[in-house]
Amino acid sequence: MTPAGLEGVLRAEHLDAGYGSVQVLWDVSLEVRRGEVVALIGPNGAGKSTLLRVVSGLLRPRRGAVTFDGREITRRTPEEIVRLGIAHVPQGRRLFPDLTVAENLMLGAYARADRAQVAGDLDRVLALFPVLRERLALPAIQLSGGEQQMAALGRALMARPRLLLIDEPSLGLGPIVVQALMEVIGDLRRGGTSVLLVEQDVGVALAHADRGYVLETGRITLTDRAEALLGHAAIRAAYLGLAVGDVGRPGSQDR
Amino acid sequence: MIFNTDVALQNAVNGLLIGGTYATVSLGFSLVWGILNIVNLAHGAFVMLGAYETYWLFTLYHVDPLASLPLTAAALFALGYPIQRYVINLVIRASFLVTFLLTFGLELLINSGRSLLLGPVVLPLVRVATFAVAVAVAILLHLLLTRTRLGSAIRATASDQEAARLMGIPIAHVYALTFGIAAATAAIAGGLISLSFPIYPAMDAGYTFIGFVVCALGGLGSVPGALLGGVILGLLQTYTAAWLGPNYDNLVAFAVLILILLLRPAGLLGRVQRFRG
Repeated sequence: MTPAGLEGVLRAEHLDAGYGSVQVLWDVSLEVRRGEVVALIGPNGAGKSTLLRVVSGLLRPRRGAVTFDGREITRRTPEEIVRLGIAHVPQGRRLFPDLTVAENLMLGAYARADRAQVAGDLDRVLALFPVLRERLALPAIQLSGGEQQMAALGRALMARPRLLLIDEPSLGLGPIVVQALMEVIGDLRRGGTSVLLVEQDVGVALAHADRGYVLETGRITLTDRAEALLGHAAIRAAYLGLAVGDVGRPGSQDR
Repeated sequence: MIFNTDVALQNAVNGLLIGGTYATVSLGFSLVWGILNIVNLAHGAFVMLGAYETYWLFTLYHVDPLASLPLTAAALFALGYPIQRYVINLVIRASFLVTFLLTFGLELLINSGRSLLLGPVVLPLVRVATFAVAVAVAILLHLLLTRTRLGSAIRATASDQEAARLMGIPIAHVYALTFGIAAATAAIAGGLISLSFPIYPAMDAGYTFIGFVVCALGGLGSVPGALLGGVILGLLQTYTAAWLGPNYDNLVAFAVLILILLLRPAGLLGRVQRFRG
């Protein structure tokens, strides 16, 4: 049973995590409440993707705990975590290139116990992204960048998640496609799905989020309501180019 | 005599029919290499076990060899699954060389266990039935991989392990299933071979080799590639043996293999696809 009031709630507490001898996250704590869109922003290499990987079980943290629905999921495998209702749209989309769009979408529902309802969910996903309907029989590699992102998001939705982790959805996409994706994310929120959004385009992210966290060199340095962050002097200077200042560390690879 | 059309036609038929068996030998080898990224040096040993099982079922219990194939396949699946799950999975993230050595060790183990049972045996030729079974097995495997939920999970795991885990696919189980299926197809190949060719404990190395060649010819992890590669190798060997003498069959086969790999490194039907950027 889910403890009352904690349904769909994600809590990360005091996480340390890294790869080999390199520690990436330092004492990171974060919360996503039910039906909330939370933006995670920060420069390249700050550890945003690493945090998502810890939540979805791809990377075990060295210290700290992750709970979802009030249940500890820190030591669980990705296979178990997706069954608990968390779907991860990884950076670079990670579609299966040789598989058809239909196969990619159906694999999103692989973990579902209620197979009978999957066909209906496929219709709902195709209603959200009508362009995918004409592409169902094509190998995913033949999709355009925007279509790939829609397919990746659609695939995650096929798991019927209560929490979506989305990593850099706007990367390489034009503003019209980004706007369409953000509208879908807004619809999901209204439907009660919680979203943790990692996004390089800080303006876009904060415009569509309820709250935001700023992650810099592995530590949370600032958190507030999205509008407040948009007005924050340091954010405006560092990420929005609205005042003179550092614009992150271009060229370094985000982990 | 060389250009006698009847002989040439007979060679075509012989080559085609043996090619079907080669394809079956290679299906599982190709599957394991293409999907698990393991060059399974014990594959020929699975073929040999299948051949002996078919032979003994026939000799001791008079089970028709073609009728015993499902049984033989099931037995080798039951052997292959735990080998992958509890042995090879332990080293799956280790270097290529480690899995190479491990499967070589398995090969030696199975082979030395087999040497108790001997006897070169030639059963009546039913090569057409053999070819039909070979093609049927290839089609079934192709349908399994392209039309079923398990098949798309297997292909997804092959293309991106981490993304497959995010879908909730239990990849250790998928690996073991794939290895089991490969062992089962090897058993079928062995059963088919036992119908037309001598079987003996040391046959395994030669068939691992055939698996390797056909797979490189046709393209890794591709069922149509295994069929095409098997038939090409069968035809090449038969024609070379007929025209230049039986000692040269592998010479020409390998010359062609090298040529094809120079022109198409991924094999005739192999593809290397990655998203750009």
